[in-house]
Amino acid sequence: MNTRQTLVLKIHRYSPENNQAWVQDYQLKVSGMLRFTDVLRKINQEQDPGLAWTSSCEHAQCGSCSAIVNGKPLLLCELLVKKAVERFKTTTFVLEPLTVAPVLRDLIVDLAQAYERVHQAKPFIIDPAGPPAEGDELRIQPQMMDHYVEATRCINCFCCAQACISRPGNFLGPNAMMANIVRMLDPKEQAKDERLDILSAGNGLARCHTARACSFVCPKEIDVAHFLALGKQGKMS
Amino acid sequence: MSQAIQAHEVINKDVLVLGAGGAGLRTAVQILSRRPETSIAAVTKVSSPQKSHTTTAQGGVAAVDPKDRLDRPVYHMFDTWKGSDCSADQNVIKTIVDSAWEQILWLDAHGLHFTRNEEGRFSKRTFGGHTLDFGGPSAFRAIFEADRTGKGIMDTVWSESLKNKVLFINQSLATELLFRDGRCIGAVLFEAPKGTFTVVLAKATVISTGGLGQVYKITTNCRQNTGDGLALVLREGLPVMDLEAVQFHPTGIVGPGILASEALRGEGGILLNKDHEPFMEKYAPKMKDLAPRDLVARSIETEIREGRGIVNSDLNLPHVWLDIRHLSEYVHKVKLPEITGFFSKFIGIDPRTDLCPVRPTVHYQMGGIPVNVFGEVQQSPDQIMPGLYAVGESACASFHGFNRLATNSLLELFTMGKVVGDRIAGYLREAPEPGGKPAHFAEKTSALFSGYLEARGADNLWSIREALREVMTEKCGVFRNEQQMSEAIEALKELGQRTRKVGLTSSSLVMNQELVDRFELDNLLTVAMTIVVGALARKESRGAHSREDYPERSHDYQHHTLAYKQEDGGIVLGKRDIDMSLHQEGGEHAGQFGLLERKY
Ligand SMILES: Cc1cc2nc3c(=O)[nH]c(=O)nc-3n(C[C@H](O)[C@H](O)[C@H](O)COP(=O)(O)OP(=O)(O)OC[C@H]3O[C@@H](n4cnc5c(N)ncnc54)[C@H](O)[C@@H]3O)c2cc1C
Ligand code: SF4
Repeated sequence: MNTRQTLVLKIHRYSPENNQAWVQDYQLKVSGMLRFTDVLRKINQEQDPGLAWTSSCEHAQCGSCSAIVNGKPLLLCELLVKKAVERFKTTTFVLEPLTVAPVLRDLIVDLAQAYERVHQAKPFIIDPAGPPAEGDELRIQPQMMDHYVEATRCINCFCCAQACISRPGNFLGPNAMMANIVRMLDPKEQAKDERLDILSAGNGLARCHTARACSFVCPKEIDVAHFLALGKQGKMS
Repeated sequence: MSQAIQAHEVINKDVLVLGAGGAGLRTAVQILSRRPETSIAAVTKVSSPQKSHTTTAQGGVAAVDPKDRLDRPVYHMFDTWKGSDCSADQNVIKTIVDSAWEQILWLDAHGLHFTRNEEGRFSKRTFGGHTLDFGGPSAFRAIFEADRTGKGIMDTVWSESLKNKVLFINQSLATELLFRDGRCIGAVLFEAPKGTFTVVLAKATVISTGGLGQVYKITTNCRQNTGDGLALVLREGLPVMDLEAVQFHPTGIVGPGILASEALRGEGGILLNKDHEPFMEKYAPKMKDLAPRDLVARSIETEIREGRGIVNSDLNLPHVWLDIRHLSEYVHKVKLPEITGFFSKFIGIDPRTDLCPVRPTVHYQMGGIPVNVFGEVQQSPDQIMPGLYAVGESACASFHGFNRLATNSLLELFTMGKVVGDRIAGYLREAPEPGGKPAHFAEKTSALFSGYLEARGADNLWSIREALREVMTEKCGVFRNEQQMSEAIEALKELGQRTRKVGLTSSSLVMNQELVDRFELDNLLTVAMTIVVGALARKESRGAHSREDYPERSHDYQHHTLAYKQEDGGIVLGKRDIDMSLHQEGGEHAGQFGLLERKY
């Protein structure tokens, strides 16, 4: 199975030394079985070691390599060349950094700043319900967990926040809201009132316009909009 | 410090955690539960601790439920000891196994969503090597959160750290440890987003930087697993232990190396060679495809070496096939959707109609920074380095000896995290203040980074990194022998020479990814050389360390390997005894903890 393709990558670059931004073209021949992270590594190896991009686990479990490809926010590690050519019906790809946080260099953004919004939604158990007895686990029916565990699969890649029609300045973001809502559904959390405050704050759920772009782009295929809808309907216990 | 490389900031903390993964943050949270006023900074190379590698672990955590009428902690201790090929430390095994259940409950209470059964209690699954009655029937001992247990653990300790106001320093590198009067007083960090160097002075410093998988060409490990913590201590003249014990998982997906879990073979998946022959029958007539990890990895490697592998023309990588086409739609779609999904997502094939290309992939380091049962870093077998601790995959206590059992690594992270946290909380009561900046601080960082920035030459650092990974895979991989390892040492020396001549594109410090990669390359070279030197000296086969020229385990090597780096870059070796207290203390089960033959 040999599926080589000649690609043109138009990469949005930024250099902080002189505050310069430009688009640079790279052309290379690659196997259709490479992922975009492999392609960028190949560029580093063969053409331009200075092109900055980032990744970590490279199998869609950490959400470090999010970027915008031909207008779509996605994880570069999941995008197989072969499938990208089929999906976008082209061999030319425009790669841009996310805009949910300031760019540090080329495709690397200061994701820690975007994380601050998730932190504001308190992604921890504020007031935990203790276990029933010494040495015993808290009993939770699996049917009960089915209502919310799906939302705990979120890896904070910020693709949903990128696609959201509300901007980060106004709205904490779909992932941050979901982190709050999931703990309203979780029987281990007792601080439901404080959770409600986060939900109804000025940068809370009122900023969601139910465009559902979040569910559409989520690489973990989480129906984010469904959880936000539960929050809106107040169906949380 | 030279002009370009200056410490821009000095900050004081009670505790500095180098590596904010599952182990480092469990430690931090434990300290705070004992001493809430403690100030802690936790450093990570990724953009949030939540993205640390712990988050990718799938299968589960071993812990004996006291309510279980069949299983007992002593069986778990036995499985761990036998699995380690009799080279784990028994005092450590006992500490970890005895505290497993209590720590599972801690995680559950702090938010982890362990999968429940119909009674609302934890579901359990079985894994290879987990038995009842000292090698009897399979034990159902692994607790899990679906196929994302590591994420559950990571999210829990990350969120608890956040709640308790640990300061996260992200996208940064620990570059150098600092010492005064024979104790560790903190470290130097390179904060890549700002392009600045920060000195953190702390009463206690914890190294929890994770694994070294990037030393090999195909690995399940993340890009940041470049063995930084190991290189950090080696540069300070401190030892590392058992680095030659590298675990290969038999079935990594070609070419990204992503883990294709044992569960696929558990459900009936079969390994085939190029002639479509189910070859495991030859190597393990009884257990076949479900034999232990190291045995299956060696069998696959043998098929490939003897010309019965397949070479992928796109990636130029030899492999065998995993056939799961015959598994039911239910298995593909409902039981193991994430894992079967990996094949279509990452290499674009349909495992219901296509054969899946797999080969051994580097998964885990059993070795690490030598610590005692409290996680205190050792300068030598009988002397600790005050103020310095290590925990998690970067530490070696040793819980795994020369072969780790599935589900025992996650267990080590949070049980030892608790132990180390308690120890540090005690130490803080009497620990001296680190004092001001030491006279000669950050000299090593300065020398390293100035060297990187000043070097001129056209060699490409990614080409060198790839060449290194190739050398290690071919010459010090699943099988090892004297000749190939001697060649590997020469090849690594040459790559070291080339590395010094790599000129960087930009001399800026701000988010210069190439500079980070350059630092990691040095660490990879140091760690690779230490692995080979240890493996060459160990003239026996033990657990994951398999010598073609010395196929048997030998009593002459019934000890841990200590490795020290000298000023001139050479590696010298020493020894540490293996604790056998469960055996020596006698009692009913002492016989199960002697030097057992490892047969399955
Ligand atoms: C795919 C996969 C599946 C697995 N499945 C299981 C399983 O089912 N059960 C099980 O028990 N084990 C499993 N393991 C093993 C287990 O997940 C790891 O051993 C464990 O998570 C390591 O945790 P840690 O906290 O030691 O390190 P990590 O989680 O790797 O964290 C290390 C931290 O150190 C930081 N760091 C590294 N270098 C530096 C530096 N120079 N400066 C500053 N920070 C640095 C990193 O950024 C990171 O934050 C699996 C491993 C993999 C790869
Ligand atoms: S909800 Fe989905 S898209 Fe949004 S951050 Fe989480 S994983 Fe990413």
